[in-house]
Amino acid sequence: MAPLTYLQAISAALRDELRADDRVLIMGEDIGAFGGAFKVTDGFVSEFGPERVMDTPLAESGIIGTAVGAAVVGMRPVCEMQFSDFISCGFDQLVNVAGKMHYRQGLAVPITVRLPSGGGFSGGPFHSQNPEGWFMHAPGIKIVAPSTAEDAKGLLHTAIRDPNPVCYMEHKHLYRRIKGEVPEGVFETPLTARVARSGSDLVVIAYGAMVHTALEATEDLEDASIEVLDLRSLVPLDEDAILDSVARCSKVVIVDEANSTCAAGAQVAALIAERGFEDLDGPVVRVATPDVPIPFSPPLEQAVLPNVDRVREACRELLEY
Amino acid sequence: MSSSSTETASIVDVTMPQMGVSVAEGTVVAWRVEVGDRIEADQTICEISTDKIDTEVPAPVSGVVTEIVVPVDTTVAVGEVLARVATGEGAEAASTERPPAPTEEPAEAPGPSAEAEKTTPASRPSYAHADGNGHADRRRYSPVVQRIASEHGVDLAQVPGTGRGGRVRKQDLLAFIEQGGAPEAGAAAAGEEPPLHIESPYRPEPTPPRPAAPPPGAAPTAAPAPGELSRMRRQIGEHMKRSLETAATCTTWIEADMSRVESARKGLGATALAFVARATIAALREHPDLNAWLEGERYTRHHAIHLGIAVSLGENGLIVPVIHDAHELSVEGLAGRIKDLARRARDGGLTPDEVRGGTFTITNPGQFGSIMATPIINQPQVGILDFEAVIKRPVVVADADGNDSIAIRPMTILGLSWDHRALDGAIAAQFLASVKRHLEARTGA
Repeated sequence: MAPLTYLQAISAALRDELRADDRVLIMGEDIGAFGGAFKVTDGFVSEFGPERVMDTPLAESGIIGTAVGAAVVGMRPVCEMQFSDFISCGFDQLVNVAGKMHYRQGLAVPITVRLPSGGGFSGGPFHSQNPEGWFMHAPGIKIVAPSTAEDAKGLLHTAIRDPNPVCYMEHKHLYRRIKGEVPEGVFETPLTARVARSGSDLVVIAYGAMVHTALEATEDLEDASIEVLDLRSLVPLDEDAILDSVARCSKVVIVDEANSTCAAGAQVAALIAERGFEDLDGPVVRVATPDVPIPFSPPLEQAVLPNVDRVREACRELLEY
Repeated sequence: MSSSSTETASIVDVTMPQMGVSVAEGTVVAWRVEVGDRIEADQTICEISTDKIDTEVPAPVSGVVTEIVVPVDTTVAVGEVLARVATGEGAEAASTERPPAPTEEPAEAPGPSAEAEKTTPASRPSYAHADGNGHADRRRYSPVVQRIASEHGVDLAQVPGTGRGGRVRKQDLLAFIEQGGAPEAGAAAAGEEPPLHIESPYRPEPTPPRPAAPPPGAAPTAAPAPGELSRMRRQIGEHMKRSLETAATCTTWIEADMSRVESARKGLGATALAFVARATIAALREHPDLNAWLEGERYTRHHAIHLGIAVSLGENGLIVPVIHDAHELSVEGLAGRIKDLARRARDGGLTPDEVRGGTFTITNPGQFGSIMATPIINQPQVGILDFEAVIKRPVVVADADGNDSIAIRPMTILGLSWDHRALDGAIAAQFLASVKRHLEARTGA
């Protein structure tokens, strides 16, 4: 069991699924001969052939629409959006066709849409977004967001084997920064939250790259015992785990890298207000990106994205409350 | 009420109130005032009892009691005059035994502050005490602090706060309790779930603000002499004995797995009793023979389900408020009604109509961990369901392939006492199986 990077874990899961199940195929822009913009599918076309590792035109609507058709007749397509930002071009096929197919016609649509998302590398407004909130609002679509190499692999297996459309949010900033032991072979990670660090005075709730920000920010904070809850799955949301953490800690900081309004963290805050009210010992505090596009300028980008200092300051304020 | 004017004063009649559409008469249990007493509007002047409900009669106006018409232990019809009160200047003249109260400018001293001025004329009305919290604490507390304080009976004014601006944080309160600051630290273990299954299945609630103290000279409520049963105990005794003498009572039990109820319950914030009530209603729909009355040889099957819920009044006895048309309510609706009825039962705030007309009853005495009972049927009903403690037990479960294994499950034993004159054991068993099925599936709830 060698340590893998987050990116290698994603590649490994795709390779395992292609080997295990003839129905699995992958589609995307430049994923074949070029090996993908981030080299996730490097070498795949020579092992599995262009029929199962399909280079597509630059048309997200066509990629997802084709995948929906293939899924309905029994395939298990995995679509790669080169950047998650580009999924807006495939929005109708995903939200209106894939998400509502089972409701309208009783047909399963087992597609997985990989969404390389997130900022932190000066990618600017079209290459840095976290669009998960758009799809949380659309019934019929599951959404997962791994933060570790092990979960990157396990959640991709779960997504591909799920009978529903699943958005798989893979954070670009973690691709080569995060490394960890990953079990070999196929394993399915459940769509539940994970306690990244247990604590009793305050809980920071996050997912994706923000889990690492939260862990670093609260590593050594005034001797306080800080829990970090990694959501892993946004739809379904592990409400029991959230409410359990709130019941034990009574103080909550929620971190989103996405723009603040209607982000996943807003839904978590609403849940706590509705069902965790009697366990609260302070206001529910959110740290998120303000409702602005992500700037190209590195100092400006660092100013809008939640960082270790902002999260630490929010925790300190709330601890003192 | 009617009034007759004289040249100096008006005399107002206080009458036996209409407590509910089906109540025709009531008995005066105690007088709280005497002739000559000065009283304020809405002050309690006497206690009355109708069938099962005891309640208080408020004064319709401020004035002076001029006559008590109905003596204690006398039963009179609704609308009959209980007492007479003089208002206006004549009342001043009539009040010869007491110093004149400072009511020359009544507009300045309404309600409770008038009461305060009367007892301590120099003092100003204390708004800190008038807020209903019973203490002058002006600090604000977070939900979790209030909940823990309520569970442990802690007066938060005594807890030192170390948060911002002296705010009491959760850890301040927990430290205070740990150091023995709570008066009844043993009453509820810290952090534990409050007991699910008590006859009144709710957390202890803060004591409601006490009504104004009885005016001086009021007759104290007649407490039963040592060795003498209270009125309610006598009535309960008569009902129970009559039921056992009348019905051919049998009891049948079934065990139910409460796993799904327990998880759903937490989601809804409802008690398990509400789910049992909902499952019972669904089962009564399938077995309407149990939603019935047997009066002598007359057997009446009811369409509507009026569900009685036994509520303990502690040492004072037991009362069975009825959720009318319970079949129209969801689990949430039932939970809300049960909570409301239980609270008002303990405050003595039920109307007689709210304890009448039940077609089936549930009793829920599992507070102390008891697991089975043989409840007595509430006549003229033909069945009563007993729901006791939910206890985790090892049970044999089968997976989808039929393989057995041992699992830990929250289990309960449901007991049905039924009247063998009205039905036979097979129906009782089918009914219980239906309740179990609804609880374990939790469908249609």
